[in-house]
Amino acid sequence: MHLIIGGAWQGKRDYAMRRFGFAAEDIHDCASDGAPDAAARCVDHYECYLRACADSGIKPRLGFAADSVVICQDIFCGVVSADAQERAWRELAGRTVTALAARADSVTRIFCGLPVKLK
Amino acid sequence: MTVFVTGGCKNGKSTYALRQAAALSAQGLRYYIATLVPGDDEQWKCVQNHRAARCGMGFATLECPTGVANVADGRDTRGVFLLDSVTALLNNEMFASDGAMDADAPSRVIRDLERFLNSVRHAVVVSDYIYSDGMGYSETTRAFGRALAEIDSFLAQKCERVVEICGGIPTVHKDIAETKHYEGLLCI
Repeated sequence: MHLIIGGAWQGKRDYAMRRFGFAAEDIHDCASDGAPDAAARCVDHYECYLRACADSGIKPRLGFAADSVVICQDIFCGVVSADAQERAWRELAGRTVTALAARADSVTRIFCGLPVKLK
Repeated sequence: MTVFVTGGCKNGKSTYALRQAAALSAQGLRYYIATLVPGDDEQWKCVQNHRAARCGMGFATLECPTGVANVADGRDTRGVFLLDSVTALLNNEMFASDGAMDADAPSRVIRDLERFLNSVRHAVVVSDYIYSDGMGYSETTRAFGRALAEIDSFLAQKCERVVEICGGIPTVHKDIAETKHYEGLLCI
């Protein structure tokens, strides 16, 4: 499994499509379609799925197919929110992405469109 | 050499950019392209801090709050041009004083920056990395972030060197003088 992480609007999805040869229909978008589709080659906006997990108390899914790609927005560098739900989301997302990165075959950060290899 | 400098706020980007610009201008003049239109005392203080930081470094200041395309025309193009910052420039281009938003501003700023960068030998361009927050911003703020990200990605592609500053410390993400690991990733 390959993890792609980076701030908003940095070109993460374009990079995944370029590097792995995905078409738009290969990508499952958690921002609009909820929980990751087990059959999808690529899962985008994993952080939105984690928001739903945090809000409903569900343990997030960490198992992905060996050659699949997970794209997650880096939401971790802002001010800690005064809102408890926002904090719960950030905590769950931070810990889950760290666990995902530990088991990923590669981790790439996208910075202003440039891929930076983290692992 | 064209250099794109970005990173978190108040982390030493401008200081690094001044040093980088000075290093690039062994020959030719040094120009500082000032973009901020101070709207209050706090911003005036910011302008004064920036002026003090470059005092004695021999920079001629070019006030250019909008329309950066031709800013180097008629100047010493063998010199170095330091533009600080893209964030303020986009803000001036995108929002009128009554708050009205110009949706064409992002593509216009990219065209202007491309024209400007093609017209000079050495340039350092400073932006702000504002994209790694989980806050639910307003639609207007999100539009600004999306527009700045688009411009930053253009600059990261266009410039020969890309540097992220954190705690005053530079991390070089791209340097055409070096072969870096990401080049391989780009080609996969």
